[in-house]
Amino acid sequence: MKTFEEKWTAWIDDQLTGRELEEFLASLPDRAAADAEKQSAKKLGSFLRKQAVALSNVDFFSHQLRERLDRESAPARSDRDAVQTGWWTIRRLLWGGITSLAVFALCTVVVLREKTPPSQSQYLTEILTYRVDPTVSPNATISMFQKKEDHVTVLWVEGLQSLPAEYATK
Amino acid sequence: MRARLLLPIAIFLVAIRIGGAALPEQTVWSGLIIASNSPPAEPTPAEITQIEGTLRKLFGYSQFQLIGQATKTLKTGEEDWLAASKYFSLQVDSRGEKADAYVLNLKLFQEQKLLLETKAKLSKASPLVIRGPQVGDGQLVIVLVVQ
Repeated sequence: MKTFEEKWTAWIDDQLTGRELEEFLASLPDRAAADAEKQSAKKLGSFLRKQAVALSNVDFFSHQLRERLDRESAPARSDRDAVQTGWWTIRRLLWGGITSLAVFALCTVVVLREKTPPSQSQYLTEILTYRVDPTVSPNATISMFQKKEDHVTVLWVEGLQSLPAEYATK
Repeated sequence: MRARLLLPIAIFLVAIRIGGAALPEQTVWSGLIIASNSPPAEPTPAEITQIEGTLRKLFGYSQFQLIGQATKTLKTGEEDWLAASKYFSLQVDSRGEKADAYVLNLKLFQEQKLLLETKAKLSKASPLVIRGPQVGDGQLVIVLVVQ
């Protein structure tokens, strides 16, 4: 026993014949509306058959459609992002700061190295103060001079107590 | 992300390292020398050879025997050290670096007795020579050199 929907589908497809067709047509409440709907369904079926070739590769169609949608929506989205965040994001600011600090340190070092004075000074050694203990060496006198040709400064102490040779021991 | 963070840090550390090397460590050699005209018992020490000619001209002696020495590498410029022989000792107290020279407080002791006290600005290219007491037929000479 077919249901009404099965009979309706079979009628649309012109599969109903004979007594079954007569009984179905008699059961329709509005024959004119049913005929109009049948014609509409046939038109739709015809249209879908024509489009069957285009729909044969569904994945490719879907991919094309998605790409086109992306193309259309991408510029709008990036413009919106730029407006919302600007070019100087927090991360870029942080990286900029760190990189600038590193470059600054490198430049400072280079400049300092260039300005480091040569290890060989042109100045002679200076004697700032000198003193002998008068109780230990009451006759001691001190003089100071510089031998510029030898680049040497000499502190010349006279009058210290002479010592025996054993004091030359290592 | 971690690798990108490491690069600037590495540059910074290299810069600091190079910067540290820009201030070179200096070594000060201090020697207690007996100058005499006695026949040499041993060859002149290498530390004295560079100043041997100057010492000969200054004191008129031909032989130089090293009886005590100290070599100190100055990192901060404020270090203390002692160059000593059996009877003499030279106490050096470095008080920092000024105009390419080290300010040194020097005390020469004969055993416990303070013979001489002086403050000098030791230039990096100019040795300091101190004439000490007569010892036997020779002379005690103190030399300080920035190497």
